[in-house]
Amino acid sequence: MASVEASSVGENAPDCVLTSLTNTPVHFHEYQGKVLYVDFWASWCTSCVQSFPFLNQLTHEFGEQGLHIVGVNLDEKIDDAMVFLGHHPSHFTIANHGGEQCAKSFDVQAMPSSFLIDKKGVIRYTHQGFRAGETEELKAQIVQLLSEK
Amino acid sequence: MAVTKSKSLQLLTAAALALPLTTVFASSDEEASFQYGHYEDGTRNLFGVKSAFKPIQVDSIQSNVKLKLADRVRLAFNYTQDTWSGATPVTTAPLAFAGNRQRLLSPKILSGASPYLNNSNVFVDKNFNPLQQDTKTGKFLSNNQLVHTLSTASPETRKQGDFRVGYDWDEASLDVGAGTSAENDYNSSFGNISGRFDFNKKLTSLNWGASYTQSDTEAYLDHDAFPYIERTTFGSRVDKAGLVTGTKKDWAGSLGITQVLNKSALIEGAVSYTNSTGYMANPYKTTAVLFVDPTQKIGSNGQLSGSMLAFIEQRPEERNQWTENLRFVQHIDTFDAALHLDYRFYHDDWGINAHTISGDWIQPLGDGWSITPRVRYYSQDAADFYVPYLVSKQAASTITFDEDGNIKRTSYNPRLLPQNYSSDYRLSGYGALSGGLTVTKQFAKGLELQAGAEYYTHAGDLKLGGGGEGNYADFDGYLVNASLKVDLAALSVANSVHSEHAHHHSHHHGAGVPAGIMFDHVLPKAGDVMIGYRYMYANQAGATQNGTNVISDAMIVHNGCGAKQCFVTPNEMSMNMHMLDLMYAPTDWLTLMLMPQFMDMHMTMRELDNAPTRPSPLTSLGAAIVHSEHEHTTGGIGDTGMYALFNVVKFENQQINISLGVSAPSGDSDIQLRDTHRQDLGFIHYGMQLGSGTWDFKPAITYTGDFGDFSIGAQLNGTKRLESKNKAGFAFGDIFQATGWGSYSWTNWLATSVRGVYTLQGALNGSYNSVYHQIGPMDYVNSYGGRFVDVGFGVAASMPDGSLQGNRISFEWLQPVHDDVNGYQLPREGALSATWTYMF
Amino acid sequence: MRFLYFFCLIFLSACSNVSPWERGTLAKPHMSLELSPLQNSLRFHQYGSREAASGGVEVGGGGCGCY
Repeated sequence: MASVEASSVGENAPDCVLTSLTNTPVHFHEYQGKVLYVDFWASWCTSCVQSFPFLNQLTHEFGEQGLHIVGVNLDEKIDDAMVFLGHHPSHFTIANHGGEQCAKSFDVQAMPSSFLIDKKGVIRYTHQGFRAGETEELKAQIVQLLSEK
Repeated sequence: MAVTKSKSLQLLTAAALALPLTTVFASSDEEASFQYGHYEDGTRNLFGVKSAFKPIQVDSIQSNVKLKLADRVRLAFNYTQDTWSGATPVTTAPLAFAGNRQRLLSPKILSGASPYLNNSNVFVDKNFNPLQQDTKTGKFLSNNQLVHTLSTASPETRKQGDFRVGYDWDEASLDVGAGTSAENDYNSSFGNISGRFDFNKKLTSLNWGASYTQSDTEAYLDHDAFPYIERTTFGSRVDKAGLVTGTKKDWAGSLGITQVLNKSALIEGAVSYTNSTGYMANPYKTTAVLFVDPTQKIGSNGQLSGSMLAFIEQRPEERNQWTENLRFVQHIDTFDAALHLDYRFYHDDWGINAHTISGDWIQPLGDGWSITPRVRYYSQDAADFYVPYLVSKQAASTITFDEDGNIKRTSYNPRLLPQNYSSDYRLSGYGALSGGLTVTKQFAKGLELQAGAEYYTHAGDLKLGGGGEGNYADFDGYLVNASLKVDLAALSVANSVHSEHAHHHSHHHGAGVPAGIMFDHVLPKAGDVMIGYRYMYANQAGATQNGTNVISDAMIVHNGCGAKQCFVTPNEMSMNMHMLDLMYAPTDWLTLMLMPQFMDMHMTMRELDNAPTRPSPLTSLGAAIVHSEHEHTTGGIGDTGMYALFNVVKFENQQINISLGVSAPSGDSDIQLRDTHRQDLGFIHYGMQLGSGTWDFKPAITYTGDFGDFSIGAQLNGTKRLESKNKAGFAFGDIFQATGWGSYSWTNWLATSVRGVYTLQGALNGSYNSVYHQIGPMDYVNSYGGRFVDVGFGVAASMPDGSLQGNRISFEWLQPVHDDVNGYQLPREGALSATWTYMF
Repeated sequence: MRFLYFFCLIFLSACSNVSPWERGTLAKPHMSLELSPLQNSLRFHQYGSREAASGGVEVGGGGCGCY
């Protein structure tokens, strides 16, 4: 039902200048050859709270097979994100600096927004929002992308 | 890569050890909330006349549950119940005409002022202004003061239930709902449909709604007032017995836009329209009409004589209402506060324009606390047909002689009265100012407590632009509320995040404990919280018995009322109880429990065969018997329990818990029936009081054992009154109860139980210390208590996982099998308990 | 007259320029248009039984703008 337009399917994923929580730089082109799930989130977004356990589960289930998740945080105050992560720990990479510019590059239209990028760096699936009922569909899409060469 | 201790990581560690979340999320998708509210009017100004009538007070409870049936499907249902009683203005009249009069019960005792609606001996000056005659000098003095005539009502209860189903698309939503409200004399049903469209990346939302309501009035004109109300304007609306019937239909629609202005502000504008047709008058209000014959001879003091008569009010059968609303929300960054400003303009074709301005400042204080002061100003014009009282320039009645010398009495012509008139203060011109404060505390586990108080003052002088009603109509009041909100999905989120740890509630100990059992378990660890709601319905009906024997009416008449004879006996008695169990474990070995409750009781009586001749209804005993023909109801907050629970023995799957606590007498035990037929009816029957009125000690010892799918339990509990009498002069008997049960879990979520109960309850001690009328066995202290045996059948369902995990609901029906009553009482028919608990 | 200010609001929508990730402040619970629905229903019921005006309490939109 997503009629909102974000960065389009079929385009090459924009690269972003991001830094992770451990202060290491994060570059999307490093994940060529892996399936990349970019999730734009913020601490104030209720659907994001609900999506975190699922993203953790995906990391455990598909991490070995080549899935890599990057949660790009868009909180205007970094402290809010830290408090959130204290209560909802993530088992995937969180990038906090440079999020806003990255969101503009990806033309994010809703919160949360997620982009599934294939092994060649092309955006294949986009999702606006998160609902518990969409998890099966997301898993199927990931499995499909992982199976591609 | 080597992980160096970066600033971010340090912050993260600090955050993990930090206090509960300060940024908390807006309403969850799945939550349950409960609220208790109390409203009370101040006393009205009767200008020197003392009224023993208590001002209006309303006690209410509300509950709301929101659930998600599927990803995009929402369900919500609400239940509201309120009980109100107290004095209300019947009409308005010049003070000089003495509408509120105190009666002398004896040389020393003055009772409450009674409403006098008619007066055939009033005086006005040549401009039809009221005159008061000085009792000493006989001279007439001008007195333009107006006053409300007050009448009081016995407690009445209103119940309302409604539900709403909604579906969410990505950028739109649709909701459909319906509900019904019922009270003694008024029933209302409604249906509504509403939706939302989002535009502009959800920066703009369009909200629309439509609803239909049908309300039916079936009310008896006030018992005491009826004989004094003129019937010339009844038409087909009121029948011979004084029953007023009417139907009102409302169609309403609304349209609104919510617009985000910038990162910290938003604005909303809305318009709504309602068309109402049908009966919209208040059957309990009358308008005083002063009849003065302008052709009469003026008296020596310049006075004209007249008569004041009472008429039911007449309102138009159609009303069109428009509302325009503007709301503005602004975040104040320096304080992290939110300012809400609201303006509403109301306009209808009854001539009423009203303005409402209100402002709220919501200030978070950190650590989950938040405080909200608020101010509201309201002003309205009077309706076109509003009058404090009418003057009709014609005689009330004239006596003439016809040709044969016979007396001919001509009454006034009712068609000379205006088509519509009302003296209801709600339609007068006035302003109202209110100020309030609300305090909220959010706990990390998804529990929110709130308490609020608001003071409200209504005054003619406050009307915008002046010209409001006189200060005789001024009144003030206060409203307090306390509420609790539980995030039902909080546990599932917490559990899924810590998915490595075992479900600590998977095979919930005590899954099969019957719904009617309390005090059976303690919370396992410090910091645990459990919230529960319990509903209980119990009733008694059938043939009055003495001991275990059904007896004849003749026996009740002669033996049921001590030295006197009985006139009536109870026919049916029922009770609805709503209780909240709030449990918290401050340490591993102690659990504290607070149990507030709200209840309503009903009783009907019947005349006994072979009863002695009734005394005249003009005596208070006679009036009490007549009054017993109506259903009696009481409702309001009950006693509040405070308990400490300990686990004293625990091995493997068996445990013994002890509960010690008291019941605080927060429920009324001195409720009185309203004055009727100008008689003081005194206290209502003992069994209808809402609380014991005494501090009661309530110990309990409970054993439970789990053996695979089977579990068993037993409990001894008691109630020991710590005072020999409450403020009304009596005390209920002590109670001892022994119960044992067994339950079986059919699946990991469903269990059934069977139970036996023995209860021993003492009779009442003492007796009422002020006016009360003994008309049947229920008015005698020896007809309370007894020995009772019941068998219970229960079913329970728990949610072991999923988004609603931690929730449990259970039902139990208690079937009486043996009633050995003290004195003369109705046997019990059964009791139904339904509970919902949520453990964090 | 009534609908005039309504249309003004629609024009305001053109001025608003908030990105989806900039809605953190708007998402705060105390910025919500229906913060205490239970308390509000009690208060409005009390006002409604004392005053002639009724209705005009509208809810919807605002907040986090989440899907």
